Amino acid sequence: MNYNWNWSIFWEPTPEGTGTYFDTLISGLEITVLTALGAWAVAFILGSLIGIMRTLPSKPLVVLGNVYIELFRNVPLLVQLFIWFFVVPELLPHALGIWIKQLNNGPFYTSVVGIGLYMSSRVATQVTAGIKSLPSGQRMAGTAIGLTTVQTYRYILLPLAYRIIFPPLTSEFLNTIKNTSVALTIGLLELTARARAMQEFSFQVFEAFTAATVIYLILSAVVTIGMRLLERRLVIPGFNGGK
Amino acid sequence: MAMIAIDNISKWYNPTFQVLKDCTTSVDKGEVVVVCGPSGSGKSTLIKTVNALEPIQSGTITVDGISVTAAKTNLPNLRSRVGMVFQHFELFPHLRIVENLCLGPEKVLGRSHDAAMAKAEKMLERVGLTKHAQKYPGQLSGGQQQRVAIARALVMDPICMLFDEPTSALDPEMINEVLDVMVELAKEGMTMMVVTHEMGFAKKVADRVIFMDAGEIVEDARKDDFFGTPRSPRAQAFLSKILAH
Repeated sequence: MNYNWNWSIFWEPTPEGTGTYFDTLISGLEITVLTALGAWAVAFILGSLIGIMRTLPSKPLVVLGNVYIELFRNVPLLVQLFIWFFVVPELLPHALGIWIKQLNNGPFYTSVVGIGLYMSSRVATQVTAGIKSLPSGQRMAGTAIGLTTVQTYRYILLPLAYRIIFPPLTSEFLNTIKNTSVALTIGLLELTARARAMQEFSFQVFEAFTAATVIYLILSAVVTIGMRLLERRLVIPGFNGGK
Repeated sequence: MAMIAIDNISKWYNPTFQVLKDCTTSVDKGEVVVVCGPSGSGKSTLIKTVNALEPIQSGTITVDGISVTAAKTNLPNLRSRVGMVFQHFELFPHLRIVENLCLGPEKVLGRSHDAAMAKAEKMLERVGLTKHAQKYPGQLSGGQQQRVAIARALVMDPICMLFDEPTSALDPEMINEVLDVMVELAKEGMTMMVVTHEMGFAKKVADRVIFMDAGEIVEDARKDDFFGTPRSPRAQAFLSKILAH
């Protein structure tokens, strides 16, 4: 293989004239982090609501929740992003569609919503599983002291369920971060898009994607360590692994 | 007047399996009624219908004159006045003992935190667990957890108490510490409906004994009549088996 290694490429200016390649990778990282946080907020909030809905006594709500999950979980993320970005604006009233297409940071908002909805279906299944794993007596005990359904969830079922599903939720958060890379296809200048641009301008493909790989690994490590620390704080003696 | 009036109730788990068959009984104010019978006879289901944890398909139940079965009844309000103790304690594992005791008074009865704490400490002292106030349920023994569960019901100032096999999940040496608290309660005049196999407890404090079999109330008699001369052959057989040793 004839390849000119050049690890100092990161400190050279890009043809765009906006700084060094390193600067562009870091700006990509910023977009990746912002998109992931936004999408995770959408996924966590909507996923929790849908997950809770599927544990309520109302049959129609359970069916609605199931349909939601099947819809967003079973269509590939790439297709969903294309639908939100290319199809939905055409379906809306003309003026609204134009407004969306001309939106500053359109790819960013689309990614937050698209990845958020996709991940919310996965969060929802975890939340449902967490609540259903609790002994039925817990719900009864809350009900028996006079708590309303909302209070029973707020004070008893959810604090327990979130503790139980904390490890899989960490995985889903990491998946959300990784899935932001798909958004390069709708023009989001996140980390992977920046690495690709660097490869195309400089032809240093190995350096570009080595950098992207290392940055993703560091990001995931930070999140994993953060979640571990949080998990440790949530340990209860005699319940989830506490002494 | 009856504190708990159960009138001709029936419950089906599906169209074919009837778990309660036309049950009628009542518990007067200050009365202690023990419900016994073989496994699957419907006694736990019966007691859970009193605070509507189990819905029924026909018949009526009133507690302190308020209908449990009427659609317009504020069930959380009614339940907050009826104490319940479960077979498996069902303390909230993520809350400290004292938090378990304050949750209902603060969130349901709207008492101040200070008032709730004062009451919780009083009830913990009563069940002899003051020094465990800051522990979590998982750090206590079964007997201690069940005493906390009784305290959790008592802090709500209940007008009556329901016990669903409160000692069945306990090691033998812990049964008495729980029964002692219950005997004490009964002596103070608490209205109690108790599903239990502890015939010693029944003999000591019960006013009446209800014997159930296959979803029916087979016998509903004064304690002395029940243990002395049970009328139904089914109750005679049951008693001869559990009192043999």
